[in-house]
Amino acid sequence: MSDDKKYGAYICTGCGLGERLDSTAQTNVASRDGKMGVVREHGFLCNAEGVQLIRDDLASGEVSHVVIAACSRRAKTEAFAFDDVAMARANLREGVIWSQPDGDEARETTQEMAEDYVRMACAEIKFMATPQGDPVSDTSRRILVVGGGVSGMTSALETARAGYDVTIVEKSATLGGHAATLQTRIPQQAPYREPEPSGVDELIAAIEAEARIEVRLNAALTSTDGAPGRFEVEIGTESGSTASERFGAIVMATGYTDYDMANLPELGAGKSPDVVDQAGFEALVKAADGGPIQCPTNGREAKHVVFVQCAGQRSDQEGHLPYCSGHCCLTSIRQAMHAQEAGASATVLFSDLRTPGAAGEDFYRAGQECGVTFCKGTVSEVLPGDDDLEVRYNDLILDEQTSLRADLVVLATGMVPNSGVDIDTIAAEENEEADGVAAGAEGTAQENTVTIPVESILNLKYRQGPDVPQLKHGFADSHFICFPYESRRTGIYPTGPVRRPMDMQQAQEDATGAALKAIQAVEGAALGRAAHPRSGDLSFPSFRKEGCTQCKRCTVECPFGAIDEDEQSYPLFNSSRCRRCGTCMGACPVRVISFENYSVETVGQQLKIVEIPDEFEEKPRVLILACENDAYPALDMAGMTGQHYSPYVRIIPVRCLGSVNLIWVTDALNNGYDGVLLMGCKKGDNYQCHFVKGSELAHERISKVDETLKTLSLEPERVLTHEVAITDIQRIPEIINDYMKTIEKIGLSPFKF
Amino acid sequence: MSDMNAATVTRYRDDFLKEVEANVEEGDWVKMCMQCGVCSGSCPLGPHWEHPPQELFMMIRANKREEVLSSASMWYCTSCYNCLVRCPREVPITHIMHGLAHYAERLGLAPKELPTRKFSKIFWKNLSSSGHANETSLALKLYFMNGFGEGIKKAIEMLPVGLGMLRAKRMNPFGLFAHKGCTDKKGLNAILDKAREIELAKAAKYQA
Amino acid sequence: MTDVVATNQTILVVGGGISGLTAALEAAECGKQVILVEKGPSVGGRVTQLYKYFPKLCFPTCGLEINLRRLKANRNLRVLTMAEVTAIDGEAGDYRVAVKLAPRHVNDNCTACGDCADAVEAEFDNEFDFGMGQRKGAYLPFNMAWPQRYVLDPRLIGTPDADKAKAACKADAIDLDMVEETVEMKVGAVIWATGWKPYDAGKIQPYGHGRFTNVVTNMEFERMLDPFGPTDGKIVRPSDGKAPTNIAFIQCAGSRDRNHLEHCSRICCMASLKQTTYVREQFADDVTSTIYYIDIRAIDRIDDFYRDVQADPNVKFIKSKVANITEDRDSHGLLLHGVDTEGYHRYSNPHDLVVLATGMEPSVPAGQVPGPVTGDEHGFVAADGAIFGAGCASEALDVNRAVQNATAAALRAIQVVNRVAATESRDV
Repeated sequence: MSDDKKYGAYICTGCGLGERLDSTAQTNVASRDGKMGVVREHGFLCNAEGVQLIRDDLASGEVSHVVIAACSRRAKTEAFAFDDVAMARANLREGVIWSQPDGDEARETTQEMAEDYVRMACAEIKFMATPQGDPVSDTSRRILVVGGGVSGMTSALETARAGYDVTIVEKSATLGGHAATLQTRIPQQAPYREPEPSGVDELIAAIEAEARIEVRLNAALTSTDGAPGRFEVEIGTESGSTASERFGAIVMATGYTDYDMANLPELGAGKSPDVVDQAGFEALVKAADGGPIQCPTNGREAKHVVFVQCAGQRSDQEGHLPYCSGHCCLTSIRQAMHAQEAGASATVLFSDLRTPGAAGEDFYRAGQECGVTFCKGTVSEVLPGDDDLEVRYNDLILDEQTSLRADLVVLATGMVPNSGVDIDTIAAEENEEADGVAAGAEGTAQENTVTIPVESILNLKYRQGPDVPQLKHGFADSHFICFPYESRRTGIYPTGPVRRPMDMQQAQEDATGAALKAIQAVEGAALGRAAHPRSGDLSFPSFRKEGCTQCKRCTVECPFGAIDEDEQSYPLFNSSRCRRCGTCMGACPVRVISFENYSVETVGQQLKIVEIPDEFEEKPRVLILACENDAYPALDMAGMTGQHYSPYVRIIPVRCLGSVNLIWVTDALNNGYDGVLLMGCKKGDNYQCHFVKGSELAHERISKVDETLKTLSLEPERVLTHEVAITDIQRIPEIINDYMKTIEKIGLSPFKF
Repeated sequence: MSDMNAATVTRYRDDFLKEVEANVEEGDWVKMCMQCGVCSGSCPLGPHWEHPPQELFMMIRANKREEVLSSASMWYCTSCYNCLVRCPREVPITHIMHGLAHYAERLGLAPKELPTRKFSKIFWKNLSSSGHANETSLALKLYFMNGFGEGIKKAIEMLPVGLGMLRAKRMNPFGLFAHKGCTDKKGLNAILDKAREIELAKAAKYQA
Repeated sequence: MTDVVATNQTILVVGGGISGLTAALEAAECGKQVILVEKGPSVGGRVTQLYKYFPKLCFPTCGLEINLRRLKANRNLRVLTMAEVTAIDGEAGDYRVAVKLAPRHVNDNCTACGDCADAVEAEFDNEFDFGMGQRKGAYLPFNMAWPQRYVLDPRLIGTPDADKAKAACKADAIDLDMVEETVEMKVGAVIWATGWKPYDAGKIQPYGHGRFTNVVTNMEFERMLDPFGPTDGKIVRPSDGKAPTNIAFIQCAGSRDRNHLEHCSRICCMASLKQTTYVREQFADDVTSTIYYIDIRAIDRIDDFYRDVQADPNVKFIKSKVANITEDRDSHGLLLHGVDTEGYHRYSNPHDLVVLATGMEPSVPAGQVPGPVTGDEHGFVAADGAIFGAGCASEALDVNRAVQNATAAALRAIQVVNRVAATESRDV
């Protein structure tokens, strides 16, 4: 705390605050306990006059750090927007008068609540500084696109058109990827009736004509280090030479591999060359060159072509893909149209025909119109005969086991993403190893499952593994529905079929979006601004090296792989990779990690300043640490909608439960709180935490507190963690009120003074 | 097997759908069905159908020629148009049902004892001979279509209705003998010939 | 007079739903100047009316909270609510836009304290709940509405209620003299993200929506799940407010249908699958769900959600487009008539609540966009025309795809304004 900090507290008496609370008492608390140099009351702090009052004090230099005791920090943000000014807000409206019943009975406890919140805000502000940001110096604005298929080329072209330089690194000798093998594509333009030219040649030509795009063929990333704005990438070529280059952001458009149909012998794969996958059929159409399609076995004309949908897909059977690849229905329709055009008759056997949207349904109808037969049926077997193939299937409409003769069978197999190494498996193995060592003798020898070695794509030199984390079924997708680009490696955006199964049009849309995110990552890094979800946040973690014990917890637990380690295992923070959740701060056992405006102190001092009534007053105190994204807004809305909860709780919003340092919990208990509730987001497979593991980590850390509680002869119920959602507007007050009953049952804390 | 039937079997070997497209009124809509079943569910006589329209369409695609053409199902269609109105693909199902029935009849595959078939034949003869339906003669022929005894029984059963109609001047008993018909019978025949010609031409188009 | 500062390096986003919000935020977070125009009184759009998203079953307001925080923190973004674009003239890089601002009658002094709502008496059908419930004449559209400012229903103006509201407001936020005005602005690029509206289920005559009380749409069903919604969060039969026992979901109600919407609305299959999980959540094994479908379109990675629902013994699937519904006038019970086409089984199945999976149609069909757009025959606005269609204005999309699409639209707009910037700096 330096002396040039000047504190001002502004107490609003509008919105009923003046009637419900004793503002004079609050003023006293702010100046006496809070040691605020300036304390002013105003009847309507958020109107022009009220705001001007604050602005005048800031302008005159009388105040540099502002406490606003009014409504929630989520309200009136437009009014209380002061640039480069540290500000703490005491939530007296939603958090006090709206969540407490009106009336004489409640007046005293309501007032106590309000005064505590004023104290807390005053305590918090003393440890807050305006974040200065940690911009990347000499930011590279060049974008690296990994993969030269349609997704990669589209990303590159769209990036270049926005005025940024791009380098495409493509493993093979040509651009175009899978799409280069296509005769046509599913139509992207209304009226969606006929296959369109694939457009790949035009795309390649556009890339070649674009001065901002540089293409490296036969090349791969041998090493990727650094952070957004300053990625250091080594690009290796076949000849073995490598070049080290600097990029601002990375688009990972590494596409997919065709599912290996050799896994489907029951569908005739491998038993007859006349059973092909969609790629195989594409080649036959190409070879036919407008003439009749010839069967691979003997070159006879394929007069009957049967398409088997969902081959090896949408199935839990071992070796099959559990998902739907999204494009195959439309692709089969397109290919069946080619078959019809070549004089063959085409039949599509499907279980659900998936042709979504306006484009999809139009194309389905067009397929029917040109004579393709669609039949709902499940294929059990494809048997090669002497002259042709027999497709045995269950016709679900006519409800019979039947069969079709076909000259050619096309299996619509799916997409397998090229997402590199599954780092979670590696981490799990590492953990197992580590646990095994720790468990010592009790560790039973576990059978090692054989994993097929996969080559890394990015070769990240990150502490947490060489590739981006995979979400499900190997896809490197975002976990969030409303934020499809919320990647877990800042500045690296998987796009196209590596992200989720998709057709070409979607891949192109997706690639355009990914290009924007890459550009945004670069611009953000240049200004030191955080990426999603704390977009624009200028605060960043720093640590006191002298206190650090090199325990590596921060580097292991960072959900975004933002922290590396130096040779001595000290953490190396990469601000532009960091998403500012504070998980590292929560993890640190020696509390050396902090942000300018969010630290062990900003929260710790708040909880310590709360007045703890002695045991005879029978007024318990419960600390609630509430996730600011879900629990805290829900609490605000509880107030707004008139849900009342116990006046004995004191609520502090936290960036994420992952940022909760156990010292807060132990300090609270030592200070005589009767209980501590942690409220965070849903954990588990469908986790809701935007910092991935915050809630999970909190549960885990708290479970370790149980032992400590026992040694202090405190009941385990003194500290509880709850998973809540932003919609739990009624449930959270219930949780609180139920908890107060629990406290009543187990009695007040013995640690009161 | 009738000669015509044998000929078409040879011509469209293995492709009943093509045969239907060529020979059945609106037959080229059959392929547009997506098996939602709204037609089958909307038919007021649905419960009597062995194979409802959407199933017939699937059977056509599955080359179940004999089963379809010898089916009684499409003969139950009363042209209420419920199916057509609700069909999400606007498939002219009513027309196709009649078309199928007609085609089966042409090939000699239609079930012989179907009342609707008999009615259709009587009606068509009645109508095409004069250009106007002769209601009295039509009703009488219908009563007697299953033999003399049944005809008398039916006539007696319908007597009160007939008398009522006479009283209300809704039936002219002399019409039976002095039915006027349309003025230009030659023209009518020309129209009917032309229609036949169009149908044959359409079939020929698919023979390629 | 409202003053809006904009130049031909400004990006205009029309529509404040999740697509418009996304496009605006993504562009603003790239450092671009953005104006977001929303017709309604608050941003958030259609998704705010949903209980949960498929397949994660998480809550849309969670994402909205993040988006609102992004919005509050970003100085590059200016939001105009109750504003409607009436004309767009010019070409990419140089548009003149007219925006009509409807009077809210509440200025930014409003603290959302709610005193005005307490003071007024008049109630109106709540459009947020599709008229299933009522709201006050002075209201906050929903709990998380932003701007966090009340709205005075225009029907209050000139009634004693208006004066009561004004008298109740201690913040001097109510301005009864506010009038409609039109502002003009110059912008460089336009993103059209006006989203979708549910197809009017009343037009599907055989299903009786509007005639049979216990036939509701999927969006109305969503509203039932909101604890602050018309049924306090309970799934009920509208006829008697009691819990249903046997719910039917009818897919493609108005979609994939030449009599209604020709296109597949993409989301409705997943939406119904999701809604069966609501039924399970609320009633465990006590209530059954039956889905009548043509094709179940649980496309791509999320197909496993379909398989999970299939594993629920209380959920049945029947491949059939229901032919029609009849109602028992006394009990308001419903009979669904049709044919299960998998093997031809006729049915007349009793249900006591029917949910029509009605699809989406563009809120503003391409033909009615007051500017140079490329549209298709279904009324969707092309993503790569002069004006960039985004989200469900451009195609029937789920939330994830709409956001992806909106992000792409933001880049297309940035390309235009960056080109303008390059030209202008050359000119200087």
